[in-house]
Parts: sequence; C-alpha cells; structure tokens
Amino acid sequence: MGQIKAGAIAKGTFLLEKDTPFIVVEREFVNPGKGSAFARLKLKNLRTGAVLKVTHKTQDAVEEIDVEDVSSQFLYSDGESYHFMNTVTFEQYEIPMVSMEDMQYFLKEGESYKVVRWGNESLDIKLPPKIDFLVTEAEDGVKGDTVQGATKYVKVETGLTVKVPIFIKEGETIRVNVETKEYQERINN
Amino acid sequence: MVVEIIKKCSSIKKEIRNFFDSRGFLEVETPLLSPHLIPESSIENFKTDLISPYKGNSPLFLTPSPEIWMKQLLARGSGDIYQICKSFRNSEQISAIHNPEFTMLEWYKTGITSDANIKICEDLIDSISLSETPQKCRPPFRVMTMEEAFRELGGFSLEENLDSESLLGLLSDHNIPGSSNDSWEVLFHKLFLTLIEPELPTEKPLVLKNYPSRLSTLAADVTGTPWSDRWELYINGIEIANCYTEETDLKKMQNYYQNETSIKAAEAVIPVVSSEKWLAGMAGFPSCSGSAIGVDRLLAALLGMKGIQGVILFPLDDILL
Repeated sequence: MGQIKAGAIAKGTFLLEKDTPFIVVEREFVNPGKGSAFARLKLKNLRTGAVLKVTHKTQDAVEEIDVEDVSSQFLYSDGESYHFMNTVTFEQYEIPMVSMEDMQYFLKEGESYKVVRWGNESLDIKLPPKIDFLVTEAEDGVKGDTVQGATKYVKVETGLTVKVPIFIKEGETIRVNVETKEYQERINN
Repeated sequence: MVVEIIKKCSSIKKEIRNFFDSRGFLEVETPLLSPHLIPESSIENFKTDLISPYKGNSPLFLTPSPEIWMKQLLARGSGDIYQICKSFRNSEQISAIHNPEFTMLEWYKTGITSDANIKICEDLIDSISLSETPQKCRPPFRVMTMEEAFRELGGFSLEENLDSESLLGLLSDHNIPGSSNDSWEVLFHKLFLTLIEPELPTEKPLVLKNYPSRLSTLAADVTGTPWSDRWELYINGIEIANCYTEETDLKKMQNYYQNETSIKAAEAVIPVVSSEKWLAGMAGFPSCSGSAIGVDRLLAALLGMKGIQGVILFPLDDILL
C-alpha cells in the first residue's frame, strides 16, 4: 500500500477509500475559476459494484492499493461469482459478478485472463485489448448487396452482439475490441 | 491541423474585435512579462529572468491573465477596454480543455455591474456563432444562482450551510471524503465539484451567479448577502467565462492582496513578487465590470468540437521534447 497524489491518478488505478477497494473508472481534472486544482473521480466499489463520486485536491495524498496480476484460467460462472484457477499454483479464485458489468460477454471457459489480486482478495479481471470470438448467429447478407460499408449485427459465442460487415457468416471467427465492443477483423481459421 | 479550422478561428477573432470596436471599447495590449503579479493563491505562475549585463538580473513572470495591467489602465481613465492575448498558467493538468499557454479575451466596461455584462456576453456569442454552432452553445443564456443550483441539483440550501461544519456534514452525508483540515474553500469546492457542477444543465449556455463571498476574489459583495457579485458561464458543461462587478474599495483590495500574498508565500511553488505600487496605482479605479473568456474553449464550443485540440495549433503536450 502506498500513497499517490490525486493529480497522478489515472483511469484504472486501484484505490482504498474508507477501507474499501475501488477502481477509478473516470477521472477529470478541474480548475475552478477561483480555487485550487482538483481531480474529480468516479470510483467503482470492487466488492459491491456501487459507484462513488469523490473530488480530491490534486495535491492530496490518496491510498493506492498494491495489486498483483495473476494469470488464471476462467472455469465457470455460477450466477453469483466467476471462478478462476491460478495456472501456476492451481489455487482457485472467486470474484463476485456484481461488480463486473458486461464481463460475461468477454469470458470464455478455458481461456486465460489476468486476475487482479489484493492480499487474499480477487478484485478485478483484466481483459486483453482484443478477443477472438466464434460467430454463432448471423443472418445471410442480402444477395447482390455490394454497397461499401454495409453492416449487420451478429451474435458471438458469449452472447455479445457485434456490428460487423455484411460478409461475416455464422461459424466464422471475428476479432473484437474489448473496450469499444467493435468489430476489428475477420480471422481466417 | 485542419486549415479550414484555422480560417474559422481567425475569422471569429476578427468578429470579436469588430464586436467590441463597434461598441466603443478600446483595444489594448498590456505586458505579458511582468515584474510582479496580483497574488492569486490558486494559480501557479511561470517565472523567468530578465538578463541585464548592466543593471543585474530581474525576475519576471508570465501573466496568468491581463487583469493586472488592464486594471491600471482603467484607474488611469482609459474607459472601456478589451484585449485578446496569451495567458499562462503553470502546474495545471494538460488535457482536452487545459493548455498551459492559452488565449484569453478580457474586457472591462465602466459604470455597469456584472448583470449588465451578461447581456454583453450574450450579444457577443450571438454575433460570432457559426452555422455549425450547436444550438446548446448559442444564446439566450439560462441564468441560475448558486443557491438555486444547490437547491435544484443537490436538494439543499447552500445559504443555510455556509459554515465549515455544515459543509463537512453535507460531504459526509453524500459519502464524499473531506477533512476538518480542509480549508473552507476546499470543502466548498469538493461539494460543488462533486455534486453540483457535473449536473449543471447543458441544453443552453448557463450563467451561474452569486458565488459565496467567502471565496476570496476581487469581486464586489452583493450588499447584505453572503454572495459576491460574480458569475461564470458554462457552455456544454465546460466553464468558459468569469465575470465580476469589480471591487473598487482600496482597503478591501489591500486586504485581498495581503491575504493572498501570505497564502502564496506558504503554498506556492513559484512565489510571486508582490508590489504595493500596484495598489497605489489603483487609486481612481472606476466602478466597472470585467469579464474574461477562455477563447480556445469558446472557439471549440462554437465549432462544435469537444476540446481545444485542433483550436490550439500546437498544444504543449504535442511539442514537449
């Protein structure tokens, strides 16, 4: 655990506020017309998923959490928690789903991810920037439709709906940008 | 860099000058390098040195706004004046709406209060808006007092909670970290910036007026109230302008000057040289209202852009080695 100046806090920083671990989901610097510089933060409670809005002077020291990224395999979700296994020690980790909005669309059983650990607690899952998915539902493109840039929606194996070019077919693999949920490219198997 | 944007920015700046020229304001140019500054405790400055082989070196500061010298001109009887110039603020985060070097428009009109300056600002923005200027960035302005903003958006009265203890209680009620070690200004800003400012209505430009007079400024008080005669303009949720009915009482100016100098001496990374000469030069300062606009932010709003990147041709972030 260390101290960090609020002015140095970035999106994705792990903080401790009132003995509770949070992740910074939004950060904005504000200089009021008259007054000191402030960092306005939107924090997500990593235990409950609740959002907390706080404002610190940029010079204020805030508790930063020392976390560790552990390579882990996603095993399954039981509706309450995601279950992972440390690929080196085989230790199993459980992360409550409540703080993980949309995470189910990016987790594939058997795949490896980084689990963010703080002491004995699993706080978060770090996703790679891009993930490849199998297209499981796609309507055929309209015959003869050669209009450039024509798009349609398909569903992938995790249930995520993605806007794709019209030529993408069921059974193909596509690469998706995790942050924007946008189609990147078709992967030839 | 898009040449089309440069052309539009250039044309808007000409229109700003036309606006003030046609209303009888005199355009002035005051020093950007100054041997002393008005000590504003919230602003860090840029310092440099004049090198003189004959008289020794002298510290100089890049002005954080043209206020210091424009006010001296007013005290010498200049009448209504305006200026478009570069201003410099150190130690601020470089972001989509901040650059350490930026363009400021500042004007002073004598014999009016800040309320009358709302209309001037409205007319100005109306006259320089472009066909692509989003409707939400165009006049008419909506006017709201701080008290109304706290009641409507926070659900409580600011006027009834102006002491530090109440502000701390409100912070605690809303789960916002604050400490009894925080100054009154910091407690107020934590509450305002967390709860109120992000919720300010954005469907029209918004004038937020009557700030607590405990925020130490050179704005005059609204007599018999806890408010100072001051407003800020927000366009699309971003603060664009700051306006005062200027304080004319030399004693109050002196108190402000001394108070800010002592805070500055204790807290600032760059301590500024203060000068009693400036105060002496303020004798004869007329009743007036002064307004300052961040031109880069205004141009971005008029062009329907999200930030000042593109309006500022070479943002410091891009050119730093």
